[in-house]
Amino acid sequence: MKLTARTHAIIAALAVFIGLPLLFYALGHVPRRSVLKESISILTLLAFSMMLGQYFLARSNETLLSLFKPPQVQKVHKYIAYTAVCVILIHPFLVVLPRHFEAGVKPWDAFVTMLTTFDSLGILLGLTAWLLLLVLTTTAYFRGRLIPRFTQRYRGWRYFHGGLAVTFTVLALWHSIELGRHTDIAMSAFFVTLALIGFALLARHYWGAPAKKPRTDPVSAGASI
Amino acid sequence: MTIKSIHGCIGCKECVKSCPCDVIRMEHGKAVIAYPADCQICHLCRMYCPVDAIEMAPEKSIPVVLPWG
Amino acid sequence: MTAPNDLPSLSRREFLALSATTAGLAALGLTACADNHVEIDVDAVTNADHSTDVLVIGGGMAGLFAAVKAHDAGAATLIVSKGRLGSSGLTPFAKGFFVFDPATEPGSIDDFVAAVSRSALGTNNPVYTRQLAEHSLERARELRQWGYFDQTLANRPFMRPIDERKIPLLERVVITHLIKEGGRIAGAAGFRLDAEATITIRAKSVILCTGAGGFKPSGFPVCDLTHDGTVIAYEIGAKVTGKEWNDGHSTRSNNPAACYDNWGDMFGRIPSTNGVEVHHDLGMDINYRAYVMGNPVEGGPGSAQPTKAVVGGPYVPEEFQRSGPPAGGPPGQKGGAPGGPPSGKGKGGAPGGPPPGFAASANVGGASAGMAIHKSEGLVPTNDRCASNIPGLYAAGDALGSHMAGGIYTQIGSSLAGSAVQGAIAGEAAAEYARSVTAPSISAARIAEVKNEILAPLRREAGYGPAWVTHTLQGVMIPNFVLYIKKASMMQAALAYVEELRDHHAPMLRAANMHELRLAFETRNMILSAEMKLRASLMRTESRCSHYRLDYPDVDDDNWRAWINIYRGNDGVMRLEKQPFDAWPEQA
Repeated sequence: MKLTARTHAIIAALAVFIGLPLLFYALGHVPRRSVLKESISILTLLAFSMMLGQYFLARSNETLLSLFKPPQVQKVHKYIAYTAVCVILIHPFLVVLPRHFEAGVKPWDAFVTMLTTFDSLGILLGLTAWLLLLVLTTTAYFRGRLIPRFTQRYRGWRYFHGGLAVTFTVLALWHSIELGRHTDIAMSAFFVTLALIGFALLARHYWGAPAKKPRTDPVSAGASI
Repeated sequence: MTIKSIHGCIGCKECVKSCPCDVIRMEHGKAVIAYPADCQICHLCRMYCPVDAIEMAPEKSIPVVLPWG
Repeated sequence: MTAPNDLPSLSRREFLALSATTAGLAALGLTACADNHVEIDVDAVTNADHSTDVLVIGGGMAGLFAAVKAHDAGAATLIVSKGRLGSSGLTPFAKGFFVFDPATEPGSIDDFVAAVSRSALGTNNPVYTRQLAEHSLERARELRQWGYFDQTLANRPFMRPIDERKIPLLERVVITHLIKEGGRIAGAAGFRLDAEATITIRAKSVILCTGAGGFKPSGFPVCDLTHDGTVIAYEIGAKVTGKEWNDGHSTRSNNPAACYDNWGDMFGRIPSTNGVEVHHDLGMDINYRAYVMGNPVEGGPGSAQPTKAVVGGPYVPEEFQRSGPPAGGPPGQKGGAPGGPPSGKGKGGAPGGPPPGFAASANVGGASAGMAIHKSEGLVPTNDRCASNIPGLYAAGDALGSHMAGGIYTQIGSSLAGSAVQGAIAGEAAAEYARSVTAPSISAARIAEVKNEILAPLRREAGYGPAWVTHTLQGVMIPNFVLYIKKASMMQAALAYVEELRDHHAPMLRAANMHELRLAFETRNMILSAEMKLRASLMRTESRCSHYRLDYPDVDDDNWRAWINIYRGNDGVMRLEKQPFDAWPEQA
């Protein structure tokens, strides 16, 4: 039965974090463009959905931990995070990339215009979120060296990583609702719901039921939140 | 329809500036199709948009006068 | 040899056809006369005052070079443009730039000028034709240096020399008035589109780089050009020429207003240069074919070659006759594009057939209705340096009636190159003039008067919507039996309509906001330009180049080796006079 429950969990996760955004994308009333442009849109949407999925691929998700071993969850968390982060970090470039293949503003000129539109709240949010994500990812990559520097060691790191993630998520979500081509009401509501549940899981994990002692050495097993 | 839709506007005003016929204006930080009847369907707004937010349609929104039919 | 042209009052009997065209306008949702719900506080409109040596009006190819060269000649220079630099008028859509490169051309400049003169049947001013060839290579070199030939959109390459020189630039400003004080130019005035503000600019010299214009037609990207420069200069006494010539671009009958789509990939192309290629591109011939044989017209872009020959029609010199219409290409195939589209074959040529997603469809003309041949209409030059008959007022590009190419589109790519060449010459000439005069003074009373005139449509409690008046004007002027296949009775009939719009509707144009204020002035300008076109076409009792009359179908060298100049008489009435080819106008 264990295997079936695991399979169910995986299918459910895929349905929520890949299926639903694709569904909302398909139902949206935004005109379709070239295959390249639509692929980039879908890739970015899925990457963001995956980033939100990280709240559910963590120690805070007790249901998941009853099905999978923490190191397995941590491994998946890590790989998905690095992949999604890459897409999100390069998505400003992906937005202007198709201009290289068609008439109009040159990609670099478009990029400069976009990034220097400082009177746009959405752009400011996006720039801040991008920088936060860079910090989030860099510190996660070097967590082994960072964890000993926190006064509370692993617990301190956990607050740092979780706090940064929540701040990033709020800014990025706001940014995507402000500017996103496909973030209509349905897509926005979906992202907001995912984020709120994720925050709730995290809050319960941090401040709710007393945390159990870590079952494995956090440093050797890699980090989780 | 002329300019069909604007999705994903970042508010940079490139389209407002580059429209020869003053069709697009800013409203609450976003570009809106303010005077569609004056659109000459030249696509400059679309080509200047850094985030490719503008979709065009070939139909004019008001009847056109032609020299013969 | 001034010959004021008094036109007989018309018989309105032939009006049924025209009236039918305008009958459907009520269904357009374009309300005609109604209350004006003004969206702004007109009394709170502010005025910004600027001052400069040389004022360049217009932000296209001519304006760019006028500003750069005036600045480099030491004059404090200011550019003001209705749109954005390099993104308004016809400049953004012109992709061919003619260059006469002595290293590669088999013929000499003399040969080139002679070929243009033969094709133009003498209508070209050889001084300006030569100037084009002599300076084009140098202008192309500068443009290349600024990155103009590296990408599709002109704004960034145009901004490079302007930024480097820190030349001040006012964009999205509509100029409605030229101001003349003490017999010479003193400045200009207008209003901002993005703010509730008028603008006055005192200038020692003004260069009009305002482009040509049309009747906001369908299928050609000329809807922002309404002969503004010509009209405001006419109002202060400048002479205007070339109004009888016609640009004859056609468009497709499916979605005729879709400029971008109907031109294939042309608007997306990166500009390139081309060498000598002299044509006699009419555009009138397809109008004639449609007029005689009815629709659909054979030989449109992407469709089969015409099988039936059509008798009569505009004269094409034998040397320049083609064996049938050229193979498919953009609708600009005939008559030349802004800046001249390269021909269907050869380097930079347009692809044959319709653009992707567009089936071959029937052709309709009038895409550029209201526009004359590039460089043939505009202010009358009084010398070879783009000066007008108003001291200190210059014009360049399509705002100058230099007749560089003649009353027919002759050299491919010469329009864009000609604007660059003339802009540079006018810039230097204006800077030189500005050094010789003191700063003009404009009285506060005059400025207040101008501001009142500018804001008048906003103050009207009721009036005519500019969109409706424009549409009515289009219904009168665009049918091909008025301005393309001309005859006296029909032109007189149309003139009656235009006079009505001029006398009754133009003074009652209303505007609710700055966008409509612009439309109101554009509409006023189009009405005046329509009157000029009709009067000049009536006066020229022959057919030559792009001017074709059914009642005078032949070239008349005995009487008509002359251009027609138009000016406002002391009584305010439009006057016309002949100016012989190869002669400069008589200076008062």
